[in-house]
This record gives sequence, structure tokens and C-alpha cells, in this order.
Amino acid sequence: MVGLSIGEKHFIQGGIAQDIRSDGRKRLTPRPINVKTGVISQANGSARVRMGATDVIASVKAELGRPTALQPDKGKVFINVDCSPTAAPMFEGRGGEELSAELSVALRHCLLGGKSGSGAGIELSSLVVVEGKICWDLYIDGLVVSSDGNLLDALGAAIKAALSNTGIPRVNVAAGASGDEQPEVDVSDEEFLQFDTSKVPVIVTLTKVGKHYIVDATSEEESQMSSAVSISVNRQGHICGLTKRGGAGLDPSIILDMVSVAKTVSEQLINTLDSQIAAAEAGEDES
Amino acid sequence: MEYVSPEGLRLDGRRPMEMRQIRGEIGVVDKADGSAVFEMGNTKVIAAVYGPREVPNRSQQMNDRALVRCEYTMANFSTGDRMRKPKGDRRSTEISLVIRQTMEACIMTHLMPRTQIDIFVQVLQADGGKSRCLIAAIGTRSACINAATLALSDAGIPMRDLVTSCSAGYLNSTPLLDLNYVEDSAGGADVTLGIMPKLDKVTLLQMDAKLPLDIFENVMQLAIEGCKAVATYIRQVLLENTKQLEYRRGT
Repeated sequence: MVGLSIGEKHFIQGGIAQDIRSDGRKRLTPRPINVKTGVISQANGSARVRMGATDVIASVKAELGRPTALQPDKGKVFINVDCSPTAAPMFEGRGGEELSAELSVALRHCLLGGKSGSGAGIELSSLVVVEGKICWDLYIDGLVVSSDGNLLDALGAAIKAALSNTGIPRVNVAAGASGDEQPEVDVSDEEFLQFDTSKVPVIVTLTKVGKHYIVDATSEEESQMSSAVSISVNRQGHICGLTKRGGAGLDPSIILDMVSVAKTVSEQLINTLDSQIAAAEAGEDES
Repeated sequence: MEYVSPEGLRLDGRRPMEMRQIRGEIGVVDKADGSAVFEMGNTKVIAAVYGPREVPNRSQQMNDRALVRCEYTMANFSTGDRMRKPKGDRRSTEISLVIRQTMEACIMTHLMPRTQIDIFVQVLQADGGKSRCLIAAIGTRSACINAATLALSDAGIPMRDLVTSCSAGYLNSTPLLDLNYVEDSAGGADVTLGIMPKLDKVTLLQMDAKLPLDIFENVMQLAIEGCKAVATYIRQVLLENTKQLEYRRGT
């Protein structure tokens, strides 16, 4: 994907070893992040996040559905990511499917919690309209428009921003339905409920290059990685999910070390993201 | 249904010969050789161009000209109802083909033998109400071609002219410029036209439904006017971009 000469590879690796990367950042400095909300007018909520040359869009669509029999008190959330061929010619045709699947699975791990639905970053019980009968299905779609590394963190940030931008219509349930009948509902198109996103975690990926690990790697740096650990952390500093990618094995003690570093980095990230989202929302209201 | 009110206004408040709001922007995908966003009303399209570059698949290489390829994709969230797995269906293949043929006609492929040029068009938003993603896809053709033209110019690929596209239709005995989704699905005639405005040549012409010959002439004339208006706008965007580049270079 990234064609690098031996000299360039040494330059990147050497820079990381000496704590100054090719774009002048330190190992644990992320790129500036730029958030724009409400970019897709047909969706219930959407956001576009840019980190350097990485550009992703997330959209949230809500549809009424039926809760599963196993979890009658919980709504459903579906996360799906697509890699547009505009990001790289290798995503043409079915070429992007492998990466799309990898990203979708990682996002589900990081945001949705276990099979029982407990520990999810997104509050699933708030999506229920009538227990056991009607709930909201949230379809979260990510689209990679331009790719320069660290797609998972960008997608995580975009989904968080899109969820804060999401308005779920208020639903009035007609009383009187009993037993197995499906109650009639009236979906309001004027009143919207704001989604509580304070518990939605952010994702921090630490990419290990040589002996050190870096945050927010560019695609050149990612091509030199031995392995990467993506950790999703919420505002309380709790770990909500974790995935490891890449071929090489990691020492367990290093993983623990990475987790604690991710925790400190995530604090900054949550703060910048929150202020960016607030600014984007304010800007949208004005226009 | 009444598509043109007695006062001469259309459903979205436009006059019969008025286009939707158009907006173009260059350089939205940093990693691509050329890229652009083009919006026509609610339709929003990103185009990215990679190339001219080495042909990865040797058997497709042509020794006398460049290979032009195009892929059209619609995002899951681009239509009113969520689409499920639209990749590689017949309609997008057809639109890919239309865009490829239209752009190939204007690219000077003989100057770049043994190379490949990829045009990727991604629909972010298609004008359209609920669930009729098929018609919504057809309505994006013009925007796709305009976006591709901008992206190709941004990539600095030699072209004979800037191809621009616009549609026109005929409803309530009135020729209408640049149909929106509701008008498109009304079932009247719909002419999509692509022209090279400087050379005054038609590179794309598609029509569904039937029209009497003399009315077709009027409708096509209207579409030509639309294309020329788009061309003027695209030229402006390119000029503005070049000025910016010059300014940044400091000359």
C-alpha cells in the first residue's frame, strides 16, 4: 500500500526511537482533529472527522424495530463501515471489504460491549419504546473517504460526534394494546430526544514501531508497525473494549503499560473532542 | 399532480429554467492525485482521480492510449431509507460505464500510452425521498460527471474540454431544467445531456419516456443551456483554485 525505500523506513523508525516523528510530533501527540456535524441531512445524526489527511464520515439512522426475545428491554445497534475507493485504489470493487470488516468488528468490540449488551458504551436500554415490542434500531454507518492511518480512532470519534448530533423522534404509543398485539405508534416529526453521549467511549490506538509505541500513526508509520492495540476508554477512565491487531506478539507487561498510557491520552482526546463537537453544534445552529 | 403552479413555480420554488444550487470544491481527498466535491441541490458527490499510473493488471495495458476506469459507489446512508449492500449491482455498473465513456471522450488518452487513470465516484447524498434508491441513483449522474471533470482537472490530466452535464425534462407541458427527485420520479421524459461546451459537442445523451420531436428539440436546447451554465461555474472554481495556488507559491 505504502511504497517506502529502506532509507525512508530507517528515517521513520529512527525518528520514533528519538521521540520526534517525521511530521514533528512527539510519540504521544495526536494530530489536530476537526469535527463537522450534520453533514448528511437525510440521517438522524452525522459527523465528519478529519485528522490530518484521514477523513471519515459517520451517520446514524434510527428505525423502529422489535427487540430480540433474549433482551426485551434493550434496543439494537448495528455498526457497519465501508471503505470508499476514493481513499485508495486498492479499495476498488471488493478490495476494501477485508479492511471494512476488520474495522466494523473492532468498533463493535470497542463500543457495543458483550453479547448480553452489558457494559456497552451506547446506553441500549434508552432505545426501548415498549418493552418486548418496540425499540429503536440504530444503524451506524461509517465511510472512509480519505485514509492516512489511524482509521479506527477517527471512526470512533466520528461515531461519538454523530451520536451527539442525533435526534431520535419522540414516539407516542397508543394505549390499549394488550397481550401479543403490536401497539400502534405515532412518530413525531417535530419533537426529538437528544442522545446521551457522555458515556460513549473514545478509541485510542497505540501502534508499536520498534521498541516504542505511538498514538495517531500516519499510514507511513502504520506500514512499519509490528502490532497495534486499540483501547476504548470512557470519560470515567474505564476500559470499554480492547482489540489487538498486527502480526507480532506483545509482552503482557507492555500491554498493561499501553493501557495506562491510553488512559492518559484518552483524557486529552475526550476533552478536545467534546469542545470540537460543542463548537460544531453551535456553528450548525447559527447557519 | 401539478408540477408547475399557475404562477410558473415548481414544487421546490424554482422557475422552470432555473437550476438547483450548485457548489464545487477542489482537493477534498488529500491522498488522491485529484479530487473534488460537487453538489447539485441535495445531491452530494465526491470524485477522486488516481493516475496516470502504471497499469497493475498487465493484460489490460494498451500500447497506444491510456486505460480509463471508473467506479461508482453509493454510501449506505446516501438515500432516505438505508441501503443494504449496494456494491456492484447492475445500476451502479451502468452508471460507472456512462461516466467512464463520457470522460474517456474528453481525456486525451493518446498522450499517455501504457498508463491507467482511475476515477472513483462516491455518492454521499442522493436527492430522493424514501426508499426509491434506484431513481435516486439515476438522478446523481449529472453531479457525478461534473465532479469527475473537476477532479480530472485537479489531477492535471490533459483534456480536450471540460465535460459538463445537466438534465432537463418535460412535465405539465413545460420544459424543466435540472429535475429534482420528485420531478424525476413523475414519469415524464428526462433527458440527461453531457456536452463539451467549447467544442460544442455532445458526449452523453440519454432519455427515457417519449417526446414529440419538436418538443425534444426544446428540451435538449434547455439542457444545453444548463450544461453551459455549469461549465461557466466549473471554470470559475478552477480559476479561483489556480489563483489560490499562485498566491500560495508567492508569485
